[in-house]
Order: sequence, then C-alpha cells, then structure tokens
Amino acid sequence: MTGNTPTTNAITIRDLVVDYGPRRILNGINLDVPHGQIMVIMGQSGAGKSTLLRCILGLKKPTSGSIQMLGTDIATASRKEIYKARKQIGVAFQGGALFSSMSVAENIQLALHEHTDLDEKTIQIMTRIKLDMVNLLEAENLMPSELSGGMAKRAALARAIIMDPKLLFFDEPSSGLDPSTAAELDQLILTLKKGMGITIVVVTHELDSIFKIADHIAVMKDGNLILTGTPQEIIDSTNPEIQGMLNRKPRETIVDTDAHLRRLTGDF
Amino acid sequence: MECTVRSQTGFDLLELGGEVDLQFSHKLRETILGSLKTGNPLLIDMAKVSYIDSSGIASLVEGFQTAKTSKLQYGLLNISNAAMQVLTLTRLDKIFDLHSSTDQFKQKLQ
Amino acid sequence: MASIAKHVESLGAYCITAMEQTGRTFNMLLQVLWELLHPPYRFYPIVRQMYFIGARSLTLIIVSGVTIGMVLGLQFYNILQRFGSVELLGAGVALGVIRELGPVMTALMVVGRAGSSITAELGIMRITEQVDALECMAISPDKFLIAPKVVAGLLSVPLLTMVFDFVALFGGYFVGVKMFGVAEGSYWNGMTDAVEWQDVRLGLEKSFVFGVLVTLICCSRGFYMHLTKAGSQGAEGVSSATTDAVVLSSIAVLFSDFLIGALA
Repeated sequence: MTGNTPTTNAITIRDLVVDYGPRRILNGINLDVPHGQIMVIMGQSGAGKSTLLRCILGLKKPTSGSIQMLGTDIATASRKEIYKARKQIGVAFQGGALFSSMSVAENIQLALHEHTDLDEKTIQIMTRIKLDMVNLLEAENLMPSELSGGMAKRAALARAIIMDPKLLFFDEPSSGLDPSTAAELDQLILTLKKGMGITIVVVTHELDSIFKIADHIAVMKDGNLILTGTPQEIIDSTNPEIQGMLNRKPRETIVDTDAHLRRLTGDF
Repeated sequence: MECTVRSQTGFDLLELGGEVDLQFSHKLRETILGSLKTGNPLLIDMAKVSYIDSSGIASLVEGFQTAKTSKLQYGLLNISNAAMQVLTLTRLDKIFDLHSSTDQFKQKLQ
Repeated sequence: MASIAKHVESLGAYCITAMEQTGRTFNMLLQVLWELLHPPYRFYPIVRQMYFIGARSLTLIIVSGVTIGMVLGLQFYNILQRFGSVELLGAGVALGVIRELGPVMTALMVVGRAGSSITAELGIMRITEQVDALECMAISPDKFLIAPKVVAGLLSVPLLTMVFDFVALFGGYFVGVKMFGVAEGSYWNGMTDAVEWQDVRLGLEKSFVFGVLVTLICCSRGFYMHLTKAGSQGAEGVSSATTDAVVLSSIAVLFSDFLIGALA
C-alpha cells in the first residue's frame, strides 16, 4: 500500500524481445496481467515461458521492450528500484529453491529479518501462520533436504507470501507432484487470490491445473504469444496449435512394419 | 494506522484503524502488550481497519496469548470486511473472541 | 595454415574467457567493498564463515605445519652439517616458515579444504535457483553470500598462518634438537636473532592477500558458474567449476607470492 496509484494492470509488457546470442528467445511479447487475478502462462518446454518470467522478475535484461511491474519499468530500472519493487512480490521457484543451509522456518523468516525490524516473537507467529496456511506446521524445524517435493513447493510458497506480497509468481506449481498434492496446491492458490487479493502469475504446462485456477491464459509457442484469453476462449479457439496442445493426440500408429523394424535395428 | 486506548468501565477499548502493515504493527504490539500489563480486559475495535497484514494479525495473536496466560478477557469488536478476510484465510476467525457490540463483551466480563 | 589459424583462434577465445573471468572476479571485489561500506552490518554470518573456513581447517593446518617444520628441520640440518654450522638451524627454519612456507602452505590448504567447497556450494545454489530466490527477495547475494566469505577469508588465513608458523617451529625443534641433538639454546636464540619484524610483516601481508584472493576466486567461479561454458551442465558444471577454482586459486597464490616477494 505504499504510494502506488492503482492502475488497472499489475504487469504490463510491451514489445518484449530477448536474444540469446544469435537466437531469438522472445519475439515481441505483449501481455497485460490485471490486478487481483490469476494469469497462467502456458506452453511447451522451450516456448520461452521461463525466459519471460525471468525478465519480469528482473533476473534477465531484455534486448528491447518494456515491462511495467507494479509501477516500475523493470527493463530500464536501476538495481535499487528493482529491489524496491521486489519487496512487494513473492516468487515460488520450481524446485522450491529453499536455502539448503537453513531450516524451513529460517528460510521463511529470512526476508522479514533482512527487511523489517519486527519483534522476534511477531516474526515467529507470522512464520507459523504462513506454515499453517500451506499445511506444513509440523515441518517448521526440518531442513530442506528432509522435505518431499510437494513439501518443498509448499514451503517455497510460504516463503513467497511471508511479506504479504501484492504479486505472486509461481513456477510450475504442480509439476512432479502426485494428483492429490497438486490439487491441494491449486486450491491454495485460489484461496490466496480470494483471501488476500493477490495477483498471481503461474507458469505451467499442466493442463489440469490451468483450467482449475486461471482467470486468464497466455499461450506461448516458440517465443511468441499465440493467444491470450479466458479459459473458455482458449477452449473455443480454432487455432490448430492450441487445439493440438489441448488434445495431446497419441502419435500415429505404426503402419509400415518393415520400415519401423529397420529403424529399430539399424539394418538397411 | 490509528491505535488509541480508551479506558472504559471495567475494560480497555483499543480503537484500531487504517492500514496495519509491516511498518506499524510493532506499535500495535506495544500498545496491546502495554494495555494488558495494566491488568484490564481488552477489547479491540477493528471497524475502521482498511487493511491488515499478517504482521498485524501476529500482534493480535501474541496479545491473545498474553491475555490468556494472565487470565484476562480479550476480544475483537466489529471486524471490518478487509480484516475478516485475512482472519478467515489464516483460520483465526474461529480462534479469536469476536464480538458485534460492546455490550456483548461486557456480558462476558461478568 | 588452416590448423594454425584454428589454434590462434582457440587461443584468442581462451584469452577472452580468461579476461572475462578476471573482470568478473575484480567486479565482485568492488561489489563486496561497496556492500561492506553500507548498512546493515551483520557480524554473525562472518563468524559462521570463519568457523567454516578457519576452525574446521585447524586440524589440517596443525598436522601439515608440524610436518613441514619437521621436513625443514631435516633438510636444513643435513645441509648445515656439511658446512659445520648447525647452530643456524633455528634461524633457517624460522625464516623459511615465516617468510614463505607458512603463508603459502596455509593458503594452499585453505584452497583445498574450504575453497573447493565454497565453489561447490555457490555453484549448487546457482543451479538450484537459490541465488535467483535471494535476488527476488530483494536480498543482495553479494552482501548475503559473498561478503561474509571474503571477510572471513581475510581474517582466517592470517590466523591460520600464525598457527601454522607456530607449530612448524616446534616441528623443526623436534627434529633438530630432539633427534639430531642440536643445542636447544642455539635453536631458539638463532631464531630470535635472525627473524626481524619485517619478516613477520611480510608473512602476514602475504597471508592477508592470499585470504582475499582465494575466497574471491573460489566465490566468483561458483557464483558465476552459469556464465561459463560448463555452466548449463548441472552437476558436471559444478564439479568442473570446483576443479577450475582450485587450480586457479593455487596458481594465484603461488604467483602473487612471487610478486609480493619481489616487490618487498
């Protein structure tokens, strides 16, 4: 609540281009993320989702274009300004990215210790409130190496929301999790949006969770944003590439037995 | 953030208002703990709270625990919608003593 | 001709990489200095790193110090005996240890013991996105991760060097006096007569420089692992960065030892 005039979008991206050497990773991305909603960025591996996320977070400088995040242009801002903007966001990384030398509680408290001068007791209670929200109270004193994949993701989420961010980023929340744990995380994301009014950006390729949580979906392919819209608009789209992603068809059945045998054995 | 304590008959009334966030919650904590030290029951009026974050909630929780150990009544009054959402989210709405009027709290005191 | 051109090209590429890495390491030093000058100042992380770099290397330093002292005692005794001047043994051991071997051997031990694990730790933090996570929490990795390590290196290596020097003198004493029967008085007196304040100062100066060099090179190799060719190769990248860091910082120690010796 510090000084930001409430614009309509939490994130506004215009003509974002990223080159990596001679290769173009992002090819002119335009994207708006409205306040208080869940935006899912979907696409296959290598489509440029992670690069886009890293640009928004200021971890990668784009070649050209602008990224307005909570009123700061991340593409041109100084390090100091980027740090100031980052105090209002939370990021949960794919593998958790918990600091391995600290316990779960210490991981979660780190930002509070670094950025606030709250009383130790307050910090402890805040930590436990967040741990309780992600249903991980019993893991408070465990080390990250002792957590399962799902627990690590939940701990990372607790760490991401410890400062009550306005904007939350979640990289692949449900990848590598069993269906019930994944569903639990999806539910948690929805609760966060409703209860705290957080704007949430989720990067994923898991179709199941996408349609459960998304208010808006942005579909990426080969460095381009091929479609943005509501879940219904995505389902109704006649774009063959999107339909291809939605109905992952099994590969065609083998017709030419001889040719296939030769391919497998290497005899020609 | 506004945070003032008024003495009522038999209890203290803390009027809380505005945005209770990381910057101000330590003041809330000090006020609550200071008021409880006088040995009076405490009722916190949260009608004018437009925003409260988890550090504010944590201060309320610590106050509640302190009140319990010193066997004092401790209640929240007229929770604003904004505050109620956060309380529900953190599953604390069932923990605190919530009141809709001062009289309700007074009855509990007897 | 083509093959010569190819060699020139790869030499050029190597030089560019080497200069990039040197530049990054130097830049890291500037960042660390900048962060150290700005609040908040935290001492606990430095103490923690000193425990890691210093205290946990202590056994190794003591064992190698005694051994080096004994080797020196043995060699000097054999040489000095030929010239009939074994009373110089104490001076020889002390000067050799305090001016050269103490700082250099200590730094090399720290490279192997702590430097390699600094690189591996930072490399793993990089590939598991822990560094990115710190950045996203608006916490400067230079301040949080690098600065405590460099300061701890700056303080630990001189302390360890003093320990090394001390036990090495006793190693020499054990061989010279107890085994070969050099007079005890001549061993210690020769030492105090020969060693001057500037010898001690030279040794200390070296160890300060080595401490910073070693931690800085090891930090930079691990922290910037993603920018090197091996960076994208996960665990393999970490292991090759670690090897690189050990080799580079060892060479840096030996070369700067020569430089400081020549300039002093």
